[in-house]
Amino acid sequence: MTRNFWIGAAVAMPGLLLFLWKVFGLGLPVAPSEPQDLWRVELEIQTRSVARGGSISAALPSSGPGQEIDDSLAMSDRLHFSVVRDGPRQIGIWKGSFSGVHHVSHAFRAQLIGDVVEVKDTDGLLPSEEIVRRYTETTTTLPVNDPEIWTFLLGLELRGPEDQLGRARGLLTFVADEIELVPDGNSDALICLATRECGMLGKERLLATLLRASGLPARVVQGLSLQRGREPEEAAWVDVWQGGWVPVSASRGFFGRRPSDLLAITVGDEPLVQSVGMAATNFRYRALPEDFRPDELAALMVPSSLILAPISLYRLPVATQSVLRVLLVVPLGALLLALLRNVVGISTFGTFLPVLLALALRESDLAVGLVMLFGVVGLGLVARVLMDRLHLLLVPRLCIVLCLVVLAIVTMAMFGRGFEQRDLMSGVFFPLVIITMLIERFSISLAEEGLRNSMTRLAWSVGVTIMVYPLFQSATLSHLMFGFPELVFVVMGVLVWIGGYTGYRISELIRFRSLAAQAAG
Amino acid sequence: MLKTLKSLRAMGLLGINRRNTSYTLKWNDRRFYPLVDDKLQTKRLCEQAGIPTARLLTVAERVGDLATLFDELEGHNDFVLKPARGAMGNGILVIKARDGIMLQKAGGSWIDQEAFTFHASGIISGLYALGGRPDVALVEERLIVHPELAAICRDGVPDYRVIVFRGIPVMAMVRLPTEVSAGRANLHQGAVGIGVNLATCRSSHAVIRSRPTTHHPDTGEAVVDRLIPGFARAVDIAVQATDLVHLGYVGADIVVDATRGPVVLELNARPGLAIQIANRCGLLPRLNEVERRWRPGMSLEDRLSLGREIAGRLGAAA
Repeated sequence: MTRNFWIGAAVAMPGLLLFLWKVFGLGLPVAPSEPQDLWRVELEIQTRSVARGGSISAALPSSGPGQEIDDSLAMSDRLHFSVVRDGPRQIGIWKGSFSGVHHVSHAFRAQLIGDVVEVKDTDGLLPSEEIVRRYTETTTTLPVNDPEIWTFLLGLELRGPEDQLGRARGLLTFVADEIELVPDGNSDALICLATRECGMLGKERLLATLLRASGLPARVVQGLSLQRGREPEEAAWVDVWQGGWVPVSASRGFFGRRPSDLLAITVGDEPLVQSVGMAATNFRYRALPEDFRPDELAALMVPSSLILAPISLYRLPVATQSVLRVLLVVPLGALLLALLRNVVGISTFGTFLPVLLALALRESDLAVGLVMLFGVVGLGLVARVLMDRLHLLLVPRLCIVLCLVVLAIVTMAMFGRGFEQRDLMSGVFFPLVIITMLIERFSISLAEEGLRNSMTRLAWSVGVTIMVYPLFQSATLSHLMFGFPELVFVVMGVLVWIGGYTGYRISELIRFRSLAAQAAG
Repeated sequence: MLKTLKSLRAMGLLGINRRNTSYTLKWNDRRFYPLVDDKLQTKRLCEQAGIPTARLLTVAERVGDLATLFDELEGHNDFVLKPARGAMGNGILVIKARDGIMLQKAGGSWIDQEAFTFHASGIISGLYALGGRPDVALVEERLIVHPELAAICRDGVPDYRVIVFRGIPVMAMVRLPTEVSAGRANLHQGAVGIGVNLATCRSSHAVIRSRPTTHHPDTGEAVVDRLIPGFARAVDIAVQATDLVHLGYVGADIVVDATRGPVVLELNARPGLAIQIANRCGLLPRLNEVERRWRPGMSLEDRLSLGREIAGRLGAAA
């Protein structure tokens, strides 16, 4: 016992010391600091071309009020990428010799701050002629000169030209309150005004048109709304000139205070992605909240130590990193499993089965994953019981069950496609062999130990899977083990201790309960 | 929970972690496991040493042997077909009578020669073996349950389990099958476990699924404070059999035949812990005492009497 204690300590110690040095000596962050509103955003564009010539262009965000953009990275997929400036706009252009399908992307890091503009009550700061000319003119999407706009403006009892702020507020109130926002509604300002309902972009265009028509320079801003746990949503608002650009929105309902979930991508209301000469163009934005501040990330990538700097896992390719992140949590799962088996005394099917199941289910929602698992195992069991009568030899019998498991997973993937249900697709990651063995063991256990005992054991197996599952979901643990892989030694040291544990299992206290009661009574 | 823990510690209950680290892993050398896991090897060792076991009638090691299997049983009217590496009594086919190619099973139904051979081929393909590996089918004589035991339990074959540590018997119990256990002598399937005092050969306590009992549930016969037939001899051959397999911590299963007396059924290198419930007594004090008193070169008689002495002194408190 004492010998095992020291051996365990000796195994754990190097890992622990290295860990402590990295944390306290080098100051590496242990847990993700999850900085507020720091995002990694990626625009993915897919095009199919028939002609060789052509181009793709995409609006790119730049730093400005309410946001800091850095760390931009474009993937050009055999094309030439260049960035051009057009007034306040920044546009990325992919050109070159197109052939078939191209995937290009542009990724950047965005720190959203929110934008609060103190709106000046006077009109002392007159806009420059340039701004007046550019942002009060009529365009196809902002039909300032249309008679309907004028008729409407005359009908509104707006404040006089000396109270610009009051006019802007009045117009905002009208568009915000009187025009109904419908998802996927029309985006034309005039139709919006006539029908009193339209989509988000329609409302902002109408607001900008009315502001321009009443003499206030205004422009539409397009961007994204980024919120944790949600896909990025397209957003739009209006900048109105009040001695400076003031963000206002009729669809979101703000005046001068831009919320910190909004990322501005471009000024003007041209489409975010345009292409010339392409047969088809698709694009989508993805956004992931960053777990570390930029300075923390830099410290993890290149620790300030000559020995550690070249071996940081953070410098591996991203795909390898994501595999290792999962892999390094497996020892923690094994540790929990050892505790549950040898200290608690839970009996499961197969030693590592619950850990591997939890690993397989990590891609999907736990409940959906378990239902899928029960589906596959149930199907396999029915087949296994039917096959029992054929008295097939072991290996061919196992192989048939394996084939059925493959078919079941393929079927689920097809259903997943049909219903746009991504969770069903994740069945593809199910460990085939593990499930096959589960079916085999369960059917043997059915025959040898009866339904009740088998179901109890299955319930415990699922229970342990549910207990291990959160380990693979935790960003904190994944960062801890990935940033500090030496902790695996600590896990091994603890396992030596568990391996030398000769005390009772908790399950034995229940099993021998009556014996203890008799001895006591 | 804490109270349970204290009183289990006080009585020296052996838990599974302790059994594995301090007894099976420490005293049972892995390379001798095949001697007990394969019933054929155990049986051959016992036969060579003159220790009674159920007589082997024939063996089918390969599918090719099946063609002559039935012919080799010519002249035998009752026998048992079983897997050499079976676990928990699975795959055992008991034949109690025959009429030409028709065989009567212990339950009373009849099967033909073909069905018998098919069952044997299932055994060979590993249907009942641990881990599903290919196995060997044995046919051995059918044992007739001792009349005293047959009067207590109607179904199945009762057996005696003796725990032998370093050649010294430390604890024993009788396992009586019940209707609930479907004729099997496994405690967790509902058989009656009866603790037997090694010194007096009398039963002390009885349990069904950890609950105390005094009578057999099927026949209503009293099971507590009975003299157990052939018990002293059973402990004797249990110790002799475990001497053969070089294992330090073994459970020996003994069946008492009506005419031949006790015979060795099988040995187990990882004997269960339920025997402590049947005896209302922990194993640890006895195991510790054995470690203190064991001397190299002890004779069989010395070891048996040391076992009786320890068990008599450290018997159940109740």
